Amino acid sequence: MSSVPAAVQAVLDQHRGALEQRAATVEEAVAALAATDLDENLRARAERDAHKLAGSLGMFGLPQGSELAAELERSLAVAGGPDPAELPRLAELVLDLQTQLLGLLEHAAVDEPPDGQASSAASPAVLFVSPDPELSDRLMVVATGRNILFRSAVTCAGATRLAAEQLPDAVILDVAFAEPGTESLDFLEQLSSREPAVPVLVLTASEALVDRVEVARRGGGAFMQRTQSATDVIEALNDLLDRAAPTDFKVLAVDDDPAILEAISALLGPSGLDVSTCAEPYGFWEALTTTTPDLLLLDLDMPGLNGIDLCRAVRADGHFGQLPIMFLTSYSDSERVREIFAAGADDYVGKPIVGQELLTRVRNRFERVRAQRELTEKDHLTGTASRRRSGGTLEALLAHADGRGQPVALALLDLDDFRRFNDLHGDATGDAALRGLGELAADTFRGEDVVGRWGDDEFVIGAFGMTSDDGVQRVAEMLESFREQRHTSPDGRPARISFSAGVAEYPRDGSDLRTLFRSADQALSRSKKQGGDHVLPVNPDTGSEADRPDVVVVDDDDVLAGVLVDSLKTRGYRTQRFEDGQQAADALSGPSPQISPALILLDVDLPGLDGLAVLRRLARDGVLKRTRVIMLTAHSGEAEVIEALELGACDHVSKPFSVPILIQRIRRSLKR
Amino acid sequence: MAKHILLIDDEADIREVAGMSLEAVGGWRVSSATCGEEGIAMAVAEKPDAILCDVMMPGIDGPATFKRLQGNPQTREIPVILLTARVQRADRLRFAQLGVAGVLPKPFDPMALSDQVDALLAPQPAGASEKL
Repeated sequence: MSSVPAAVQAVLDQHRGALEQRAATVEEAVAALAATDLDENLRARAERDAHKLAGSLGMFGLPQGSELAAELERSLAVAGGPDPAELPRLAELVLDLQTQLLGLLEHAAVDEPPDGQASSAASPAVLFVSPDPELSDRLMVVATGRNILFRSAVTCAGATRLAAEQLPDAVILDVAFAEPGTESLDFLEQLSSREPAVPVLVLTASEALVDRVEVARRGGGAFMQRTQSATDVIEALNDLLDRAAPTDFKVLAVDDDPAILEAISALLGPSGLDVSTCAEPYGFWEALTTTTPDLLLLDLDMPGLNGIDLCRAVRADGHFGQLPIMFLTSYSDSERVREIFAAGADDYVGKPIVGQELLTRVRNRFERVRAQRELTEKDHLTGTASRRRSGGTLEALLAHADGRGQPVALALLDLDDFRRFNDLHGDATGDAALRGLGELAADTFRGEDVVGRWGDDEFVIGAFGMTSDDGVQRVAEMLESFREQRHTSPDGRPARISFSAGVAEYPRDGSDLRTLFRSADQALSRSKKQGGDHVLPVNPDTGSEADRPDVVVVDDDDVLAGVLVDSLKTRGYRTQRFEDGQQAADALSGPSPQISPALILLDVDLPGLDGLAVLRRLARDGVLKRTRVIMLTAHSGEAEVIEALELGACDHVSKPFSVPILIQRIRRSLKR
Repeated sequence: MAKHILLIDDEADIREVAGMSLEAVGGWRVSSATCGEEGIAMAVAEKPDAILCDVMMPGIDGPATFKRLQGNPQTREIPVILLTARVQRADRLRFAQLGVAGVLPKPFDPMALSDQVDALLAPQPAGASEKL
């Protein structure tokens, strides 16, 4: 299905000659009437052409044009021609009609981007990429009901082809079945490299270990779990589309010529700018205070109060004094330009207005305003949001999540022994560490997520659509990178620092920001009490089983076991390690085992007693009913693996393995 | 099979936009004729499910086309919707007395046209009054 608005635009381009011809006939008839020379033939032709214009202009998005033409048609329908007394009114109607038509045709010519993506404000085009036809059908139904032009592709290659035919306004990418492969990542990058970038909503399965950093870097705009209803997905998509358009930027244009005002609205409106107009300089102040614009466009020459007067008045005002002001002027001699800038203007654009120039200049101003706003709301040292700002954004994030039925992971991070670090290495080194953590956090959490500096050495992170479990995982990975950051004290000594973190999940661990913070803070305090340098979730059964390890690692390889234990500790798991099979079996099995972990990682090749023998003892004593076992196999044959699984091991991972993947398997096993 | 509608209008731009809108938004199969005579011939040959016909056309106009379609047993049952830029009250009454399925104003909104057509063609609840 092609985009209707785009196709209407194409028809308009094709028939512009006919439209111009019809308007010309009407004009000719009115001119003939003025010269008392209107014959019946011309009158009838003009009536018919006015009728046709009345019937078609609205269809091309110019309803006022249709009304003007209909009024002309009624006057021209009088047998023998209109009363000459009506001439001034008719002349005005013709002029208005010509201006409108000109605006429409110019607009069509100026605004059509080279790739054929016509102004699509009316119905956004969305491309859905997923191997799941059932999900595609469900989304299609909802999208079509919302007037969204919905197309779908099964593969990224297909989607690339569809996007080449017609560039979508947004893309939904379903990465539910696998980690996003290079194909998806390349597709994302291709979309985000466009100007303006195409926003992408990424659908993930709740358990998929999606590399959010990588996806965000390549241009993924928002994440969502694919278990959400089709309606929720389309709502999220609409939000994304809203955010893509800079609708929060308001322009007030002041000109005594309504045609210019309409041309400005027509030029800037389609780019998502909110344009208000004021044709009466004496009504300016009222328009200014009611619209509170972000940018003023002033005509230089107006009857009564001219643009210079208005500009001076604005600059002298306490509230609006800083407002960016641009002038529209048909004079560009140096004297006038000097006068404009002397009055306090920021920029000027010559008349006649060239669409692209005006748009570009307004956009530039807009970018400056946005940059300035961000500056005041950012923490200067770390570049993350200030406390004031992140508080508000977090509230908005929770409200947003509420509406979508999505979780939010809230993490509180605190540098370990920061005061001592500062004392040892100097404040400048401390600042560098803070900056490093801010940058790392901003890099890890992007898009909809909120990263802010909450206190001296405390950061807050809100991640939309993330469970506490996923949050712990991400923050732990951040911690692993952060430990690797090397700082140097002024006297050249290397300095390293770690952090502790607590993660809470909204709404599970708190139904408002305050209680959520308290939960995350409690988790953070527990992490600090246990020596810091790791990440803990909010634990509902605090302390009751404090001595029970979560994971026991039975492996004689010191390096591998060390890495595993470190990774698990960073993620807040209590761990214990055994090198010897016999010792492990003694501690873990028997009628009343000394330790009873939730999960055992059991190597097959062990000194003392081999892994399978340990597993048999665990099975015999009923330990496997409450403890899950993942076998770590190196050169084991299929028979051994099958025996392990038959004995009751829940999974096996063959060596060499990647630690992140093993962590993922561990998380999954513990969840079951 | 998709519902089939015949468009009769002398203006090429209207035919194109209406056709596209009915096809893309409404899922209709669309054929079109440029005047009343051609439209009547196509209606006999193709037996469309509905006809959308402009009022003001050179040659025989919309109402006259409708009367001819009504007079032919082969096309009598096909619902006809008139499309007109002139929807004064008097015109509406005049068209209503003709017995057309409905009258739609020009200019139309390309995104809404197919819904409007569908609404006019939907079966009337028993006892409902004229759809105008």
